[in-house]
Amino acid sequence: MSIQSLIMNLQKFWAERGCYLAQSYDLEVGAGTMTPDTFFRVLDKRPWKVAYVQPSRRPTDGRYGENPHRVQKHFQYQVIMKPSPSDIQQIYIRSLGALGINLQDHDIRFDEDDWEAPSIGAWGVGWQVLLDGLEITQFTYFQQAGGIDLFPVPVEITYGLERLEMFLEGKDNIYDLNWSEDVSYQDLRFIEEKEFSEYNFSLANVRRLKDSFLLNEKEAKQLIDKDLLLPAYDMCLKCSHFFNLLDSRGAISVTERVKMIAQIRNLASQIAEKYIARESSP
Amino acid sequence: MEFILEIITEEMPPAHVKTALVQLKVKFKEELSSQNIDGGKIETYGTCRRLVVVGDFALSQKDREEEFVGPPKNVGIREDGTFSPAAQGFAKSQGVRVSELKVIKTAKGEYLGLRKIEKGKPSGDILSEIMPQIVSSLSFPKMMRWGESSFRFSRPIKNILCLFGGKRLSFSVGGIQTGKSTIGHKIYFPKKIKVRSFREYKETLRKMKVVIDQEERRKMILNQMVRKLASLKATLHLDEDLLERLVYDIEYPHVILGSFPEEYLDLPLEVMSTAMREGQRLFSIVKEKKQLPFFLGVADAYQDSKSIIRKGNERVIRARLEDAKFFWEQDRRITLRDKAKGLDKIVFQEKLGSYEDKTQRLKKAVSYLADKIEAKKEKQQVIQAAELAKVDLLTEMVREFPSLQGNVGGLYAREEKYPALVWKAVYEHYQPASLGGESPASLTGAILSIADKLDSIVGVVGTGITVTGSKDPFGLRRNAQGVCKIIIERKLCLSFSRLLDKVIAIYGEKLHEPKEKIKSYCLDFFSNRLRYIFDRQGYRYDLISAAVSAGIDNIYHSYLRLKALDSLKESPNFEPLIIIAKRVNNILKDQPLFRINQALLAEKEERELYTTFSIVKNNILPLISKGDFSQAQRIIFRIRSSINKFFDNVLVMTDEKRMRRNRLALLQAISKLLIQVADYSHIVIEGQDSSR
Repeated sequence: MSIQSLIMNLQKFWAERGCYLAQSYDLEVGAGTMTPDTFFRVLDKRPWKVAYVQPSRRPTDGRYGENPHRVQKHFQYQVIMKPSPSDIQQIYIRSLGALGINLQDHDIRFDEDDWEAPSIGAWGVGWQVLLDGLEITQFTYFQQAGGIDLFPVPVEITYGLERLEMFLEGKDNIYDLNWSEDVSYQDLRFIEEKEFSEYNFSLANVRRLKDSFLLNEKEAKQLIDKDLLLPAYDMCLKCSHFFNLLDSRGAISVTERVKMIAQIRNLASQIAEKYIARESSP
Repeated sequence: MEFILEIITEEMPPAHVKTALVQLKVKFKEELSSQNIDGGKIETYGTCRRLVVVGDFALSQKDREEEFVGPPKNVGIREDGTFSPAAQGFAKSQGVRVSELKVIKTAKGEYLGLRKIEKGKPSGDILSEIMPQIVSSLSFPKMMRWGESSFRFSRPIKNILCLFGGKRLSFSVGGIQTGKSTIGHKIYFPKKIKVRSFREYKETLRKMKVVIDQEERRKMILNQMVRKLASLKATLHLDEDLLERLVYDIEYPHVILGSFPEEYLDLPLEVMSTAMREGQRLFSIVKEKKQLPFFLGVADAYQDSKSIIRKGNERVIRARLEDAKFFWEQDRRITLRDKAKGLDKIVFQEKLGSYEDKTQRLKKAVSYLADKIEAKKEKQQVIQAAELAKVDLLTEMVREFPSLQGNVGGLYAREEKYPALVWKAVYEHYQPASLGGESPASLTGAILSIADKLDSIVGVVGTGITVTGSKDPFGLRRNAQGVCKIIIERKLCLSFSRLLDKVIAIYGEKLHEPKEKIKSYCLDFFSNRLRYIFDRQGYRYDLISAAVSAGIDNIYHSYLRLKALDSLKESPNFEPLIIIAKRVNNILKDQPLFRINQALLAEKEERELYTTFSIVKNNILPLISKGDFSQAQRIIFRIRSSINKFFDNVLVMTDEKRMRRNRLALLQAISKLLIQVADYSHIVIEGQDSSR
């Protein structure tokens, strides 16, 4: 039992359901939802099926490797199916079976948990999936983005890989997990967590981050004007990451925070609007 | 004949299930009666995954006798007794022979016409026709689409079963065609199985681990809980809201009793029960006000023979309690006072600045409030509480358990040995959580709660956001109701209007809207919230109007006014007084204000009225300021006979201008006095409409 066999099982399962297996996106993102394979592809009208592992960074969650549950980088397994298949819930439940969970012995609950990002006019309806009380998945039917009804409706399934693996291995400490038979989570991630916590909380250069934020924002705007939406979106993701770092440094005042969030939101919604316009023009 | 409808969906929130069941019952009753189908009792059942309607409906619509009216008798039948072309035309249009026409008496006279009996159609055909409309007209607090359809519902529909007399009723909703099959529990029996009757349906589902009757599930949960608790000799302090949720969240209840290590029992009770309730939805178990190291959970399962579900939940709760313990220890390493320095980093409201700004405003507002209600002893303590009130937003504990905001700050303040009036104020300042919730038990908590809520209301209104219909993103209604509830329960007497002025003034230049506009909006808003509160307490709406329209400057007095009106409404003096008050108001309508000149009181009756008025006034003004509206009201009754005599013998609208104005002035003075007790013009008396 290991994270990598968990990933391999999921890859096999979702590939067999017609998903294209994407590789992790090569920029820092806070969640699998933020990568172009989800962000752009849910907006247009074409069918889309994709599955991928996405390392996700949340600098403020860092605990210097000392907390058994919290890390500043974790791994999500992201699935998008558009249009949402009519039996998607049963498919998802079968995916848990495919991971070796004997469903008859457990309590599997879909607990109301809608998703909302009002700043970019996006929202969805869904659940957190609880397995014997443990939250292992977010399950969301996207409804709107940029205030526009999404059609066909995409469904997003996001497994928390560490959570799931802790469940499968019956362990209480994330660092005790096996990544492979020979390599543990501790071997791979402990130093990274320690060093990045140090960096995120104490050493990240505030001046440089603020400058980088502005430079990337400027470049994103120029790229939007030139209709280069994918590069523009990369710049937007970078801004978002710099913002998160500044946040974990405690370096953002109230007024700055409001302003920076508005700046990121503006970029994202402009890019989404242009993408929708481009996709719907003949 | 037996009717069954079952709509299976993905998991709906409990509130959605409940509203859908209510709507279904109502819609079925309405539709059946408008379709002339006899329907007996209609039962509804539901779980998070299914909505069920069962009924016993007539086989067909009732036959209907219809009358078709043709030409008037004297036009249709000639004097010689033969039928005119008009009658023949009518008969032809109805497809009958002219000799079949009958004379029909109507309100307008005699006409030629005929009565036809229309045979009722089979109910099955009608039901197939109206079902799609009934199902798709269900409305939910939030609706969604799925797949490639524009159909909206609470959650995606998976299956629809609809039987009438054991036969399938054919229709489709949201792209789903009806069938004769149901589906069992999503894990144990996710297969379709055919049923023919409700009895068979219910039994089949039970075998497939679904109990459709919510009341039966509730009983199963409670019975199992009692059995589990027997061994602990503990009683259950049932969290009713949680139970209600779980009754709908599961299709087959299995109660588990789990435990956690005793080392976590050092945590405050609030923290432990919140850690259990939120996320996993577990019940904490308390014995003699002490938490026991056990919990109860309800699984959607029929057994836990290998204890896998119990162990899983134990592991999760252990991790949550471990987190909570870590936060409890970590947070206390830095004192609240030192933590408070971070308040300027967190936003209260985008346009209203940080929580540091809010804290500064609260200090001023509580200080004003303490002065106004003469809480001298408490003043310094409530100011101190205001300084600490929002600090817990910076703690890990509140970040993890947001619903514990306030409580956590209070608990930490208690740990830091702040005086009881300080920590309790912090602890209680978000109370009451709802209209039925508990208000702060301490005076300091009450003051801080009022200040905090008013600050939020004024601030949000001041940025131009208003509450409309279902839109109340900042919970302003709940906040305003909280303020009213505390003022009334604590019997606080203070000028609400001046309090608003103060809170607005404290904001200074931060508010975008003009100050007068904010104030009048708030006064209006609070009037409406007061009306709502009184209405919920069951008072007559016109009495509420009379009490609230008389002014809400003193909110507690508005309540006393209402109580006085309510207690005197049966008095024989009540209605006559109101009739007179309305008469006075009618005469004064559209008149400018005049002043009384005693020297001009000419007639005996107007002098007498003036005297009575002066005596009554002198007697009731002190009563009004004390809030003794019952007594004031009783004294007011005494003015009635003088006014009657006045109206009977004195012409108010006399041509002599000075006399007329003087008489109007007298009535104006009386009206002004009356309205301090209640605005009688709103009171409805039998056989008479409200004058407004």
